[in-house]
Amino acid sequence: MISVRELRKSFDGQPVLKSADLDITDGETMVILGPSGQGKTVLIKSMVRLLEPDSGSVTFDGQDVLRLKRKPFREFMKCTAFVFQNSALFDFLSVDENLRLYLRMHNPSSIKVMDDEIIEALATVGLDRTVLNKFPEELSGGMRKRVAIARAIVKKPRYLFYDEPTTGLDKGNAEKISELIRALKARYGVTSIIVTHDIALMHDVSDRVALLKDGRIFFVGRRDEISPQTLTSLYEAGELNGL
Amino acid sequence: MNRNVYISLGNKSASFFTNVYDIASLLVATIKAVPSFWFYRRQLIEQLYSFSVKTLPITSVIAIFVGLGATVQGVYQSTSLVPRYVIINTIFKSTIIELSPIILALVLAGKLGASLAAEIGSMKITEQIDALETMSLDPVGFLVLPRVIAGVIMLPVMAIFANFLSIFSSYFVSTIATSWISSEEFISGLQMGYKTFEIVFGCILKPAAFGGLISLLGSYFGLRTTGGARGVGEASTSAVVTSAVMIVIFDYYLGKLLL
Repeated sequence: MISVRELRKSFDGQPVLKSADLDITDGETMVILGPSGQGKTVLIKSMVRLLEPDSGSVTFDGQDVLRLKRKPFREFMKCTAFVFQNSALFDFLSVDENLRLYLRMHNPSSIKVMDDEIIEALATVGLDRTVLNKFPEELSGGMRKRVAIARAIVKKPRYLFYDEPTTGLDKGNAEKISELIRALKARYGVTSIIVTHDIALMHDVSDRVALLKDGRIFFVGRRDEISPQTLTSLYEAGELNGL
Repeated sequence: MNRNVYISLGNKSASFFTNVYDIASLLVATIKAVPSFWFYRRQLIEQLYSFSVKTLPITSVIAIFVGLGATVQGVYQSTSLVPRYVIINTIFKSTIIELSPIILALVLAGKLGASLAAEIGSMKITEQIDALETMSLDPVGFLVLPRVIAGVIMLPVMAIFANFLSIFSSYFVSTIATSWISSEEFISGLQMGYKTFEIVFGCILKPAAFGGLISLLGSYFGLRTTGGARGVGEASTSAVVTSAVMIVIFDYYLGKLLL
């Protein structure tokens, strides 16, 4: 169970996140939806301290991670994984090394066991061993995103954060990523927190939806509880038509 | 108007002291990460390679021409009142203790400092450093520590190599090319007033300090990169300029403290 309470973050005196409150239950897929520039990425980055929030609390199973010291926090982070908007694969490492890095550093086992885990993660995201020796720059945007998800799942996380997972992808690739998010939930029972402005993705994967505008969450509920008026109030008309 | 000048001066001073504090904090974090260096040995091997093999051509050119230039100047300044082997001794010591380490460090600050800042800065703006954090990896241990260790180890190695080349090129221009001095006199010039500590100072201590400085500052400016490509460019420039200034200041204080 994740609880976010009165989370605030400002940059150069400009408040971006203004008291966000949110509860996420184990195993659910929570989509945080909102137009660009409303503080979605700031919210999930603050939840895992990639940004240090100004105030508030974020508890995972009752443990406030914002109060943890560096070392215990790094230990805690082993049960979370993060898929970045632009994949953030290490461009000086091959796909194999990108996937192997975490295992080598934190879960050293025989090369055969690591190989099996890597192949399994790649198979889960619909890729095979032919990509292993490629570098991120040699992959398409969709493949990079899938490798980034594979890198996240080799950790076998309990909590999986996605930052705009379908941004920059064509419709076909975006649908594949949606399918993958659903498959990961079914297979591993992972709790997924997804921030997106993509309404189609929200419809495809969400168990519940949190709507964020002006740094505040103003609605939390099932997707069928969102009225067209609420969506209209969230997005500018042009923006909504384009989605 | 005066008020604006004071505000500007105040902001600049605050920014200077913040930078000094942050650099000191990064140094402390790097030292704290030393016990886990075995964890990051692969990164260390890659950096040792970058700091040596990739800088070998530029080091060779610099070293040869430092030796040639110093000798030509020495010969030009010489008078019949001073024995030639004494001139060679002066050239040798000034090259080993001062010229070779500082010129090498300044050039490598340009090459390595800029490349470190750009590399780490690019990782910062493409969220690769955030990705390290989410993988429970310490960015200081993973990125900064191997680079600082590589700088501290490899700059002395490169300085020894550079000093050897400088002396050889000095020997070449003064004995073989111009016959200004005989081989025996040249060697007795090298041996005159020989002090092991001077060699250790010029070949190991100074380059090690400069190597650590270049790596630390390159990493520091890389880690604080913001924005896009422009931010990376600014980080590289800051790393090179600050490293160059700090090398010259360190050079003075190291000489004053240790010689």
